[in-house]
Amino acid sequence: MNNQYFYDNWYRQEKEQLMNPQEGLTKGNLFQNLYSEYKDYQPMIINFKTEQEKMLWGIQALSFAAHELNLYLDLHPNEQSMIMLMNDYNNQLNTMIQEYEKKYGPLTVNNSKDNAVFKWVSNSWPWEGYNV
Amino acid sequence: MFKYVKKLQYPINIKKKDLRMAKYLVTQYGGPNGELGAALRYLNQRLTMPDDKGKALLNDIGTEELGHVEMLETMIYQLMKDATLEEIKEAGLDAHYAEHAKALFPTDANGVPFAATFSTTGDALADLSEDMAAEQKARAVYENLIDLTDDPDVIGPLLWLRQREIVHYARFKELFEEYEKKYQKRNTPQDKFLYPNVDIYQLDQYPYYRW
Repeated sequence: MNNQYFYDNWYRQEKEQLMNPQEGLTKGNLFQNLYSEYKDYQPMIINFKTEQEKMLWGIQALSFAAHELNLYLDLHPNEQSMIMLMNDYNNQLNTMIQEYEKKYGPLTVNNSKDNAVFKWVSNSWPWEGYNV
Repeated sequence: MFKYVKKLQYPINIKKKDLRMAKYLVTQYGGPNGELGAALRYLNQRLTMPDDKGKALLNDIGTEELGHVEMLETMIYQLMKDATLEEIKEAGLDAHYAEHAKALFPTDANGVPFAATFSTTGDALADLSEDMAAEQKARAVYENLIDLTDDPDVIGPLLWLRQREIVHYARFKELFEEYEKKYQKRNTPQDKFLYPNVDIYQLDQYPYYRW
């Protein structure tokens, strides 16, 4: 059997069972078959007030999707299609984080690139309504 | 080790103060089915899981629960921060104020302080059964909490956290079922009678033991 063809096909099929990262973060769930609604409540749709909020949402969505795949892969460590998808999300995520940090300051202290003032202390905290 | 990332796992932005809701929500922070207990339980159990899959899953879900602790902290803080002393008294949070002012303190909804009442047995099947039950109980409590509010800014994150309980339950269940096949000790009287000299732990390697 043509291996590459097999994996491509498999990859496509599995992708169809998955929500995209944005929908995944909205619902708190990446795998279609695990999603369950409560009564007739619908997931919150967030209106972004600033460019920063919108950008951070993109980061949260990709890291959420990668985390969901991580939990799945813990139990299925040999599923190549899922590994490929996770790598794909992680690569996109790293690019986005770099862009975000250039504009709004570091998300992790190791990525702090200041020379004069240590911005980690001043670019406020998630519970204060920043970086949420 | 753990590293802090300056973001929440899911955005929270509560604009309306609601002390009554803060008082109830705290149970998912420091109550018996709360996120703090869950994080500690999984991060304890991961060390004695019998194989790589178990160690990885318990580690990764335990880590996510720490992120949920932060979400609950954020919700409680935002619900309380603009309250006046009068409102605090009215909501019955005066006892909390006496000891902690507006600071966070992990308790259940009745003010009983956080305690690690769960136990880690070291038996993977027993531990995972407890984890599955804990996820279900947390899901039920989130549903109760959703019933108690009509603020969409509070319902959104609660619905989201509820769904995470469902996903974690499904992952634990999958691991439990795998371990059940792999590690459950079969030791029926019939087995003992037919194979007095067979080590029951080795039965999987003995192809003709059942007919």
